[in-house]
Amino acid sequence: MAQAPAADRPLLLARAERAGWWLETGILAALLATLILLAAGQILLRNLYGTGLPWADEALRLLVLWTALFGAVAASREDRHIRIDVLSRFLPPRLRAGVALLLDLFTSAVSGVLAWYSLDFVLDSHRFADTVLNGLPAWAFQAVLPLCFALIAWRYLVWALRRLLQLQQRAGVEVQP
Amino acid sequence: MAVTLLLVLLALLGAPLFTLIAASALLGFQRSDISLTAVPIEIFGIAEMPILLAIPLFTFAGYLLSESQAPARLVRLSEALLGWLPGGLAIIALVTCALFTALTGASGVTIIALGALLYPALAQAGYPERFNLGLVTASGSLGLLFAPSLPLILYGVVAEVSIDQLFLAGLLPGLLMLVILSAYCLWVSRGQPVRREPASARSIVAALRESAWEIPLPFIVLGGIYSGYFAVSEAAAVTAVYVLVVEVLVRREITLRQLPVIMRESMVLVGGILLILGVSLASTNYLIDAEVPQRLLGFVTEHVGTRTTFLLVLLLFLLLVGAILDIFSALVLVVPLILPVAAAFGVDPVHLGIVFLATMQLGYLTPPVGLNLFIASYRFGQSIVRVYLATFPFLLMLLLAVLVIAFVPSLSLWLVR
Repeated sequence: MAQAPAADRPLLLARAERAGWWLETGILAALLATLILLAAGQILLRNLYGTGLPWADEALRLLVLWTALFGAVAASREDRHIRIDVLSRFLPPRLRAGVALLLDLFTSAVSGVLAWYSLDFVLDSHRFADTVLNGLPAWAFQAVLPLCFALIAWRYLVWALRRLLQLQQRAGVEVQP
Repeated sequence: MAVTLLLVLLALLGAPLFTLIAASALLGFQRSDISLTAVPIEIFGIAEMPILLAIPLFTFAGYLLSESQAPARLVRLSEALLGWLPGGLAIIALVTCALFTALTGASGVTIIALGALLYPALAQAGYPERFNLGLVTASGSLGLLFAPSLPLILYGVVAEVSIDQLFLAGLLPGLLMLVILSAYCLWVSRGQPVRREPASARSIVAALRESAWEIPLPFIVLGGIYSGYFAVSEAAAVTAVYVLVVEVLVRREITLRQLPVIMRESMVLVGGILLILGVSLASTNYLIDAEVPQRLLGFVTEHVGTRTTFLLVLLLFLLLVGAILDIFSALVLVVPLILPVAAAFGVDPVHLGIVFLATMQLGYLTPPVGLNLFIASYRFGQSIVRVYLATFPFLLMLLLAVLVIAFVPSLSLWLVR
């Protein structure tokens, strides 16, 4: 089970890291709790009064998208995305660290591109004044796409930096007698 | 071509799959001069599939259950009910794992939650160590074909097949796997000095009472869905609320402080799966634009004559896919491609789904990336090779089951019709 990150880094960074972790966790918990309550509420209404909130089904679908994307952001913090990973186990440690760095940069770049075009999509939607949920502006709900992809890109940039530092430190240890 | 090779290399080195699928979709649309906003538009399609609601709800309920004492109670209950059988504990392991995997969605949680209880218990009862290791590892993905497992739901989403029908179709094939493995366990434990628990009304009543809160759960989920009273996503909502109330408020085995962390954990898995689904909606759309399924269909019908050869080729192909890809990625990437081909050979999409998932289940146990092998190796501190060798006989038994499932379609379709 994952825990909030321990304070083994410089104090300020560690605090920021913990705050970020709890923020993510809080958002995820709030989204999921809303999802459960709304879905259960619909069933209650249906069975007690034979009716339901007319907007609830669409809201639930949007909530699923939001939950999934924030879940993906959380997965990025722990570098726990689904992957194949057959070769890296056979690489020597130094090469493996280099490859990991490369993959972080690649992941960050692809997520960045996705964030960019998601922003395009949201701006288009804003321009055409698309709506969801009986007249609410659609772009506000779609904005989660660029936001989350940007966060994932940022997360993997941080991973890349971290691994770069590790590589440097290890190189330093090897050089010093 | 060079780009494709580069993406494959990156995949083998361990790049997150969603980035590779997204990259190939982006490149594909770019080449066809389609605006790249098509990709986020497709990802937004996640918000247009009502059935996906079931995925976060069931996953959360499963994680919550596995963090509570429910797995231990489930083992004690089945011990009281089945412990008197020859090979009783081995069969208990199979049954409890299958039930638990169905509820938790085949994500490796089973080995962690139940394996830790069953592995020492089997050893204590006198089963050979290697057998236990293989049994616990192989059981970790056993319930895949039983409702409401996530892969079944996801297949319904991707193949646009009724999920209610899939839930029915998986029942007999899933039971077949259970029966074949149980028979194997009986055969292995014959003549072994294995301890058996005599059945007693007292211990059964005690175990029933202990599990009183959890026993209604399968009836609510399965009864609700099969009777048509609940839609799948409604059953998921009821399950989530029920488990939440029972484990947090009634039993208090999960504290309110733990709750957000469990929610996060389960949503990390959901996020990973749905993100892959989202980007694969885009890549599939591009593949269909590029007429890849049609060309694949032309190629296969040209080289493969009969339905039987097609099924054999399909099984080989799926075994290969299952060895490299995890079940969720395989579902969203491969199913759209093989669906039209299978239809051309007269394979029912519901039957195809069951064959697909049953074969993928073997992928959990085959190197190089079998998830269960790694989890078991990590959890029980054994080398991968040792886990693999111990699991191999079970793999063969499951392969036998897969062959029957593939070549006897009525096993899957009998309950549906």
